[in-house]
Order: sequence, then structure tokens, then C-alpha cells
Amino acid sequence: MYVAEVVEEHHDRPERKKRLGILFWICVGWIALNVVGAIFANVLPIQNPLFQNYATVNAGPSLHHFLGTDDLGRDIFARIVYGSRVSIEVSLGAMLIGFGLGAPLGMLAAYRRGKFDTILTAVMYIFLAFPAIIATIAVLSFWTPRSLLKIIIVVGIASIPLVYRVIRSATMNFATRDFVIAAKVQGATDRRIMVKELLPNIAPVGVSFLLIGIATVVTLEGALAFLGLSVNPPTPSWGNMINESLSILQQNPWLAIFPSLAMCLFLLCLNFIGDRLRAHFEVSEAKL
Amino acid sequence: MSDVTKLLVVRDLKTTFQTPSGPLPAVGGVTFELGENETLGIVGESGSGKTVLSRTIMGLQPRRNVEVSGSVLLNGFEVVGASEEAKRAIWGLEVAMVFQDPMTSLNPVMRIGKQIDEILRVRLGMDRHAAKARAIELLELVGIPSPTERYGVFPGELSGGMRQRVVIATALAGSPKLLMADEPTTGLDVTIQAQILNLLQSLKDRLQMSVVLVTHDLGVVATRTSRIIVMYAGRIVEMGTTRDVFAHHRMPYTRALLEGSPKISNPSHTRLLAIPGRPPNLLSLPPGCAFAARCAFATEICRRERPELEPSLEDGHSFACWNPLPVTQGAPA
Repeated sequence: MYVAEVVEEHHDRPERKKRLGILFWICVGWIALNVVGAIFANVLPIQNPLFQNYATVNAGPSLHHFLGTDDLGRDIFARIVYGSRVSIEVSLGAMLIGFGLGAPLGMLAAYRRGKFDTILTAVMYIFLAFPAIIATIAVLSFWTPRSLLKIIIVVGIASIPLVYRVIRSATMNFATRDFVIAAKVQGATDRRIMVKELLPNIAPVGVSFLLIGIATVVTLEGALAFLGLSVNPPTPSWGNMINESLSILQQNPWLAIFPSLAMCLFLLCLNFIGDRLRAHFEVSEAKL
Repeated sequence: MSDVTKLLVVRDLKTTFQTPSGPLPAVGGVTFELGENETLGIVGESGSGKTVLSRTIMGLQPRRNVEVSGSVLLNGFEVVGASEEAKRAIWGLEVAMVFQDPMTSLNPVMRIGKQIDEILRVRLGMDRHAAKARAIELLELVGIPSPTERYGVFPGELSGGMRQRVVIATALAGSPKLLMADEPTTGLDVTIQAQILNLLQSLKDRLQMSVVLVTHDLGVVATRTSRIIVMYAGRIVEMGTTRDVFAHHRMPYTRALLEGSPKISNPSHTRLLAIPGRPPNLLSLPPGCAFAARCAFATEICRRERPELEPSLEDGHSFACWNPLPVTQGAPA
């Protein structure tokens, strides 16, 4: 009996390949669908998000208007698809700035340590002490006229300290390991060590934080749009659609439900993907 | 000057850490020489400064809170006080290092072949194909079976002994003249230990390099080194050929170390003689001999004045002790 068990276990081994699970791939598919929709919105057979049809105002979901219309007779489905453009553009743009500056600084500080690290970290923590949302609201209120680029810049800069902190601690975890010293005594330059030795090791952390960061920025943009501090109407964004729905919530609750649902699903999928990836890589690290 | 012919000349090397409780002399004035194609063993208890010594020789001390004085001439290059850039020129090509724990001294997310390739391509300017061919050659040299297939595996797919072989292969890639091995077998089990040590020994002969073997295990150095340095509290207390140190040691500490390790010739259940007490606190070293408090032969002068290294009767053998053991002491190892 015992022998049989052992044999079976041994036999099982190659089969136990790590899987990310079906739900993971559904989430990836949903995000991909959103991104494709955002990129090809004007090519796809979608109605004009700005066309106002006063014949059908505040209509519920129907065959013609997949998710109904708003108080100006605009197609909600089209507005949600076009609205995802703003969310995705802002989040990707902001993360590009956040990671572009925060990640190299974080790695450098963790690798170099010393005064450079002390001062930079102190500065970053001072920035972290401000609530990001209040800071962005304050800046965007005064920096007019608003444009997508300005929103990206402000949100991007606000995300630098967060990225810095995560990447710095991830790097510190590896910076003093023997393999880094081993590379050093082989004559590798500091830059080479950071790019070739450290970067691949912190990549899993970076990727999952990137996904969570995108989700956070989508929420932040939603909040800013809700407060009227994002793109100007009539350009749709998920946040300003929810904002507009408020005044007629009683007559047409669909107007609030669908954009909220769109945002909610998007965030849920991103978080789930980030979480699964982290778990996936953590297991492989424990095996080493 | 005989110094010219020596590969490594260390003169009055001191490494002092600045700690919140005061200066800590981890290495307190060490002088020795190492010729070409020679194996030197550095032995001592934990905390005797042997690891700090080996790292200082490599120029690997931390960037801050450390003071290094004296001189380390490595094939004519002064390591003490050299900039990182200058040291980078000798690292890998003149001197290489094998680390204690093969589990952490390889990058877990890089294929082992690539880790060997790095130095070949960046430092020796080989092209991709030449570097790969050389890396496979090196893997074969260190005794990795089917090296062509193993070239592409990750460290996690190899056992500890195999990983240490890979570490040695990466160290050898730049054909260094001096290989520093800091407790290269501590992380491995006993049978593998012997394999790795024999490998180092045969590589030393084949590649005509010198090896510094840092260890706390006298069994490791007994048959594989030509000379031994015994360290205590950051200083050399006895130094000589392996034969002299084992057979004609004069310093009571060396004898205590030897008695503290098991011998196959002893009857079973023989008790090992432990050294009483603990190593001294380096922050407040006594004025006299650092070993005096634990020494059975200590007298008044031992506590008052520190003995200097003095030559013994045998050539090249020296020790630091006020009350040395008689010359006839100690059976041949």
C-alpha cells in the first residue's frame, strides 16, 4: 500500500504543472476585450457616442440600444466603450510616468543605499503623506484648461512615490544577496548588475504592482471625472457618465448601473490577474 | 625583494568597522604572502575575522563605516584604497571568488550558461558562439555531466553540489590567478564536500592558479593546502606549512582547535575537547593576548602584553605566544 502510494506520487510529479486557472484567462480575455474596444472604437460598428436622439430619451436596454440611452438620447453602450478610452489612456500614461521615474529611482536607491537613498526616501515619504486624491484634485482645479495630457501628468507624478516604495523594497530584498556580489566580483558594472541581475528578479513584483496601479488609476480617474475634474463633457468617461446619471437617478437607474458595472468588472479583472500572477511567481520562488 | 615574485602580498592589513559602540577591529594587522600555484588555508572560529580578511583582500568591504589600512598587493595591484572602477579591472580576471552558499550565489532567474557567458562576453569580448562554447567547456571542466544540455537550465533545477560546481565555473571563466574560496563547502553535505574540495584541488593544478581556502574545518585544509594561517580575534596567531602547523604547532590555540576536531584514529565515543569560554568581544579587546582568558598556559605577561608573531625553529613557521608549547609537542597529523 505504502509502496503504491509512493509510486503514484512519483508518477504524479510531471503532471503537477502550475496552472493559472480558467478564471484567470477569462479575466485576461475581458481586459483584452476592453482594450481592443477602446482602440478600435471608431472602426467597430458602434453608434456615435455624441449623437443625441431626442426621440428615445432615458430608454432601457433594447435591441437597438443595447444598454439603453441617457437623458439626451445618447447610446450608453457606445459611451461606455468610448469612455474606456479615457480610463485606459490615463492609467497607461500615468503608469508610464510612475514606473518610468519611480522604478529606476527605487532600484538605484535600494542598490546604492547611503545618503542618496536616505534623502530620496525621505522626500518620497513626504509626498506619500499627502493623500494622492486631494493633491490631484487641488492641482487639477487650478491647472486649466484641462486636457487628457495634464491629467496623465498629474496622476503620473502622484504615483511616483508609490512605485518608488514598492520597487525599492523589492530590490532591497535582492540587492545584498550573494549572486549580486558574485556578479560584482566578476567585474560587472553597477548598471549591468541592476539591469541583468536585479531587474529580472523584481519583474514579477513590478508586473503585479503595475496591474494594481492601473486599477487604482482607473478608480482615481473615475473619482476625478465624478467631481468634474477629468476630461470635459461631452467626451464620455466612466466617471463623468456616473456623475451625469446622478441628477436623473430615479427616472433612469441604468445610466448609473452600466458604467459602474463596466468599471467594477475592469478593476476586478485587473486585481484578480495581478493577484494570480503574484501567487504564481511566489510558488516558483519557494521552489528554488 | 622577494615580493615581486609573490602573487599576493598582505602587509599589516587592518579592517576596522565603525559601530555605534565604537571601533571594531575585525582584522587587526595581518601580514602574509602567497606565491603562485600555492594553496593557503585560513582557519579560525566563527568571528575570528577570516571572512572579513578574505573580503578585504578582494576589496569587497562595505562602502561606509569601515576603515582599511595597510597594503594588499595582488599581482602588483594595490587593492587598499583603489576605486571601484580600478578594482573592477582585476575582479574576475586576476582574482575570483567562490561563495559559501551555492543556493544564493547564483541568480535564480538566469540560465546557468548565461551566468557564465556574462564575463566571457563582457570582459573578454567573446562573441555569442565562442562564449557559449567556452561556457560549455567550463561546465565540463568542473564535472557537470552532459554540459550542453545543462547550459540552459535554471539554478533551481540543480542540486547544491551541482550549483557549487557552476559557481566555480563562473569564477574560473576569467582565468583568474587567485581563487578565493570562502567556506566553499559549508552549505553542502559531507560526501559532496569532499568532491568539491578535490575538484578545487585538481583545478588549481591544471590551471596553475593559487587558492585561498577559508574555513573553520581543519579537516578541509589538512590535505589540500600547502600553508595554513590560524586566526584568532582578527590576528594571525600561528602560520606555517600545513605539516608544521599540524605536527609542530606551538600556539596553544592551534592545539585546542586540533583537539576540537574528531579523528578517525581515536576509539569510538572519545570526547572532543571543547575550548572553554567564548571568543573575546572585539569591541573591548584585552591589552594582552586575546586568547589568554581561555588558555590553560596563560601567565601574568599573557594578560599584560600582546605577543608578536615570532619565527619558530622551522623555516617559515611563526607563532604569537609567550608560553609556546615545546617543539616536540604534538603527534604528526
